[in-house]
Amino acid sequence: MGTATVAETSAAAKPTAARTKKRTKKAPPGIRPKGWVGLLFILPNLLGVIAFTLIPLVSVVVLAFTDWNLVSGLGGIRFTGTDNFVAIAQDPAFWKAVGLTLVYAGVSVPLTVILGLALGIALNRPLPGRAALRAIFFLPYIVNIVAVGMTWLMLMNPNSGLVNQVLGGLGLEPGWFASSNWALPALIVMAVWGGVGYASLIYMSALQDAPRQLYEAADIDGAGAWTKFRVITWPSVLPSTIFLVVTLIIGVSQGFGLIALITAGGPGDSTTTLSYYMYQTGFQFYRFGYASAIGLVTFAGVLVLTLLTWRAQRGRALHD
Amino acid sequence: MRRKGFSRREALAVLGAAAGTAVLPGCSTDQGSRSAALQVWGGVPPESGPAAVVEAFQRKFPQHKVTYTRYVNDDRGNLKLDTALQGGVDIDVYFTYGLGPLALRAGSGLAADLTDQVRRAPELRPFLDTEQPRAYFDNGRVKGLATASVPSFVMFNEKLRRQAGVELPHEWTIEEYRATAKRLTTADTVGAYRVPDVARIALGPDYWYDGDRSNFGDPHFEQEFRIGQEMIAEGSAFRWTEVLSRHLDVYQQNAFLGEEFHLWPTWPFNLRYLRDAKMYPHDFKVSFAPLPTVDGRDWNSGECGNFLMVNPKSPKQEVAWEFIKFYLTEGSGPMLSAGQLPSLSNLSEDQVISGMLGEEPERYFDVESFRRVVLDPKLKLATGTRLTAFPEIRLAEKQQRDLCWLGEKAPGPAIRDVRRVADAAIARNDRRP
Repeated sequence: MGTATVAETSAAAKPTAARTKKRTKKAPPGIRPKGWVGLLFILPNLLGVIAFTLIPLVSVVVLAFTDWNLVSGLGGIRFTGTDNFVAIAQDPAFWKAVGLTLVYAGVSVPLTVILGLALGIALNRPLPGRAALRAIFFLPYIVNIVAVGMTWLMLMNPNSGLVNQVLGGLGLEPGWFASSNWALPALIVMAVWGGVGYASLIYMSALQDAPRQLYEAADIDGAGAWTKFRVITWPSVLPSTIFLVVTLIIGVSQGFGLIALITAGGPGDSTTTLSYYMYQTGFQFYRFGYASAIGLVTFAGVLVLTLLTWRAQRGRALHD
Repeated sequence: MRRKGFSRREALAVLGAAAGTAVLPGCSTDQGSRSAALQVWGGVPPESGPAAVVEAFQRKFPQHKVTYTRYVNDDRGNLKLDTALQGGVDIDVYFTYGLGPLALRAGSGLAADLTDQVRRAPELRPFLDTEQPRAYFDNGRVKGLATASVPSFVMFNEKLRRQAGVELPHEWTIEEYRATAKRLTTADTVGAYRVPDVARIALGPDYWYDGDRSNFGDPHFEQEFRIGQEMIAEGSAFRWTEVLSRHLDVYQQNAFLGEEFHLWPTWPFNLRYLRDAKMYPHDFKVSFAPLPTVDGRDWNSGECGNFLMVNPKSPKQEVAWEFIKFYLTEGSGPMLSAGQLPSLSNLSEDQVISGMLGEEPERYFDVESFRRVVLDPKLKLATGTRLTAFPEIRLAEKQQRDLCWLGEKAPGPAIRDVRRVADAAIARNDRRP
């Protein structure tokens, strides 16, 4: 039934139905028309997706229009219309969290991308010990977040940490996680450190696909390094850059682990980003309706940013 | 031609489907899945006392079986307990530690009304006291019973105290506390970890609330912020940069054992780090002083806590009550090793000392000052009964205290910001139906 169903759906939807149907009829030998077998194969995963993604997703949308504290049970859900969204618009803590998230993303994402590209280009060249270097730079991405957090906490101790002992020689002694001015920059440093290896890996893969013949032609034409980068390398890696920017923005907007582990949103509210504010509202204050509304607004914001990023690169990538 | 039977691929698919659907029974809330044993959930690891309490209960009531399940008493652990209670997981009796979850659970139908049972048990009469409550009352009904008395006191490192030639105070004021911390400060050791809860000592229970508003306009709140900031600036209290960088709010014991600071305003549960020098190496004795008074007022900033509650959906209400009564009246002895002083004074002083201070109490503790300070029957514990917007206010106070004690904000503006947030949170909660 499976292949027949695909054909029927296509036929109903498009004028190319006849061609599709024809093609479906000539399915490769060995594929039997038994869609239920395929369904059974994916059933365990499907159940997981329904239980742990689809239902929570729908619940968040519904809860965003309610006042609910979880412990009162489903009977305690009280629909409040758009009250939560009106409250969000008037909530100074929310807008501060938006600002902090934009700064966090606005600094950490470009830095990660730029350093990742530079590292990717460097590691793409024949270097002694290149494989080991690649592994070392990728290591922060896979190390346990708790170990990472605790190590940085010690390194950035304002009184006895290694970082300040080095910076002290330059007359600098930032308070890092014990200062409301420095805590967010400290988190940005950690985010960039953790993400550069991953970005460089993506770029290395993209650079492998950059057309060799264009570089050779550019060499013959006498193009300089900057021109080659601007005209060949950058357009070649643009799709990867867009992928990185989008995934890093999503990662930052969801970033929670390091903040929960190291600063708990503080000192004061200096590292209370949107995701942490949502956590506080839901899991500390038990305002699940309001937290869900914050989640929806965050989702809308990330969606807009993603679409803008995607539109910005349209037609600029180098297609081989 | 129609094929008979299943191919290997189809068989594998069916197997996969079966595996997938096998997870579904785990989501069941069927009453039939309830265990015959009484299910008790608590935050203390079983080996730190609860297992011994359960064993003693089962010895006395061999017809009843009890299973103790530990949940971690943090945000996520409490959420797990709440969802389990809501989802119909087999829980009969559970402990609630934080005051925020206490009010939520009691007010949301997750705690059975124990008023009549308490009234019928003469030995539990103290739990009906509303002046210095040991029970949590929700609209006048008993919903939770405190198992532990958690008085606050100041601990001295005896070795350093003697070296500095400082008298162990039997009573003192907040100004004398600060002066003592200053005297004890050396090049290697900070005088005190922090200033005690000045406002709570002065104002007593429900000190955050004033009618339908917050009480942060009271000058004692600003006084606490100011003294703390000044002590840090003069070096007689621990640098707050260090407290935040090393997460000392939860690991103070390490710095005390390492003799980094001297005076430690703390609670009985931290005694467990001092009774066992093998696990927590140190070579000094500690002595005890009462909390300093503030303007002649002497509320103890500790409270009665660790509330036992019964799930109203439990089909084992009678056994649950039997367990609670046993725990409160005769079963709490094993919890002393975890630093939990029973809320009912049903143990002798000697039992408490040997249970709480370990096998060699005289070696690591000044037992005489322990008796006088920690076991003082006249302590006025400031157990709160009003918990509106409790988590929001607690967070606002912590945020502003951090900024103030880091030296980034003056005490006045910091307290005004706490007041603004607290007033808004109380108003919002009061508007809820």
